[in-house]
Amino acid sequence: MSVTDPAQVHAFRALARRLARRRLRQLDLRVRIELAAIALLIDGFVFWQTRVPLDGLVRAHGPAVGVLAVAAGLAALLIAALTLAALHHARRLEAGPRGPEWLALPLVPAPLAAHLAGESSALALWLAAPAAAILAASIGIVPVVATVALALAFAPLLAGARAVGGSIGLVLALRRIPAGGRGAPIERVLAVAAPRARRRRLPRPAWRRMPAWRALVEKDLRVTWRRGALRRSALMALVVAVASLAAWWLPAELPLRHFIAFGLALVAAALLAQWLVALSGSDPFDTLRTLPIGLGGVWGARAVWALAGALLLVTSHALVARELSPHALEIFLVWSGLAAVGIGVLGVNYGVTLFPRADLAERMLGLSLGLAVAASIMIPLSGWIVLLTAILHSARRLPRWSRLEAS
Amino acid sequence: MTLRVADLRRRYGAIVALDGVSLEIRRGEVLGLLGANGAGKSTLLRTVAGLQPPDEGTVTVDGVDLFADPVGARRRLGYAAEEPSFYEELSAEEYLAFVAAVRGLDPEAAKARAAALADALGLAGRTDEPVQQFSHGMRKKLSFIAAVLHRPPVLLCDEALEGFDAGGALAAKRELRALADEGTAVLFSSHVTETIERLCDRVLLLRRGRVARELDRSAWGAPAPGPSPLEREFLALEGTTST
Repeated sequence: MSVTDPAQVHAFRALARRLARRRLRQLDLRVRIELAAIALLIDGFVFWQTRVPLDGLVRAHGPAVGVLAVAAGLAALLIAALTLAALHHARRLEAGPRGPEWLALPLVPAPLAAHLAGESSALALWLAAPAAAILAASIGIVPVVATVALALAFAPLLAGARAVGGSIGLVLALRRIPAGGRGAPIERVLAVAAPRARRRRLPRPAWRRMPAWRALVEKDLRVTWRRGALRRSALMALVVAVASLAAWWLPAELPLRHFIAFGLALVAAALLAQWLVALSGSDPFDTLRTLPIGLGGVWGARAVWALAGALLLVTSHALVARELSPHALEIFLVWSGLAAVGIGVLGVNYGVTLFPRADLAERMLGLSLGLAVAASIMIPLSGWIVLLTAILHSARRLPRWSRLEAS
Repeated sequence: MTLRVADLRRRYGAIVALDGVSLEIRRGEVLGLLGANGAGKSTLLRTVAGLQPPDEGTVTVDGVDLFADPVGARRRLGYAAEEPSFYEELSAEEYLAFVAAVRGLDPEAAKARAAALADALGLAGRTDEPVQQFSHGMRKKLSFIAAVLHRPPVLLCDEALEGFDAGGALAAKRELRALADEGTAVLFSSHVTETIERLCDRVLLLRRGRVARELDRSAWGAPAPGPSPLEREFLALEGTTST
């Protein structure tokens, strides 16, 4: 076999096509429509936010500057794609990528590395959506030739950014393993990523009688503490919540501190919701579904965390935000509390209704919250309507719990 | 009847996995399920366990309709999976304590039973280790313990003893027999005809998602009591008694 075995390159391309088709088929029609609708709305938001400033720029400085601005926007997206691909690929290589025991197969390293990088960087394809919105926003403002040229250039550049990101991800993963060793870089990384035997013992548990939801809550705590990704997710929510409290001490005008504290409180709530979705994803389907736990138990166990998080956030802000007038403080606490509960409940709903597809639930949560933020920027307070609609819509799907099956 | 399955149908696209399967298991009966790969054994067991809804048909567990009252039915079910999944970060004992709490078992009694089962199956001394450190056989044993911990009226075993060492398999078979003697209805799927012959009172042969034949013990005769010669050799090596 040569360094670039054409047969293997062809086989990996065919595999990538089949995987893409299968993943698309796994999304039911309603979810596909929802994803497309939300992507369209976000595109609309980017379009609107780009077109007006671009028009002003072209009127003030001419079309050449406008073309440069569009190119800069696309370049920023390419950098984001590259960064996303690199970080995601490094993380997946460290955890052990999906698929068969790659090292047990007679594979040439180059196509294998390219395939794994392509799998990791598929996430970056989502950035094509805002790029399309930026290009659409430039139509009629900058010369059509420039728009077409930028569009034609973007597709291969995005592929290039994904490839470069994949290479950087491999280098990052290589830096985390002991130096030396035999074989190509991808083989060395995969050899270390393979499960390592590490004998350790855990403290004996207390056998106690408790309701099912409480048993789940206790189990959630243990699993979060011991699983790196879940622990990081929970800690991140906590860190941002603390940052939202710290905002009250910033050396800035009170309205600005008020705004930052509120914004960070919402981000903390979103991160808490993301952790709740990840918790749902950590439940093994066959284990949970064969135990006598009903919808109330599963939903309640996770909603307790959402409510506790919101309560902690509101209480700590009530203690810290002393400079606000009583009326302003009341409004702040009610709004941030309601938003935190709403976002948390949305996370719980998505985690339960899309179980065991935590990846899909996380995407839906991100898109719903992104849409709510975009709506609020376009029309003040309309984000609340979006959030409420998403909660009600996901709540209507909760009875599906009794009919769920592993996809 | 403790388990009643009526006209169960399930398709995967064009593939018919279950084509009108009906069966009944009485209290204290061990029903074997034999069939080639793809015959529908695992689909049947997963459907009866409530892991996937059928296209048509009903499942009644100890008088409770599985699809009308899934939580009530799962209280009465135990399921030892072919490929069990766990909370990998929990120790085996933490996992069993969680299962016992969710099932509302008496904590002390459940703890004692879990310890006794772990000892009998050869897991003693390893139950404080995270499940992610367990071998395939140890995972299957843990799944078996979790399935029988509450002495369920209906027990579903999907290739449950595959991966067990000889001592563990013997202990598990003894436990299954003891449960059956207490009144548990057992649906036991396996590729190993020898295990089915020794353990089961009746056998259904599945073929292409249908019950092709039904046999009772008279069809294959009474098995030799106690362990086989090879099992005796293994037990002697391990220093385990065969009683």
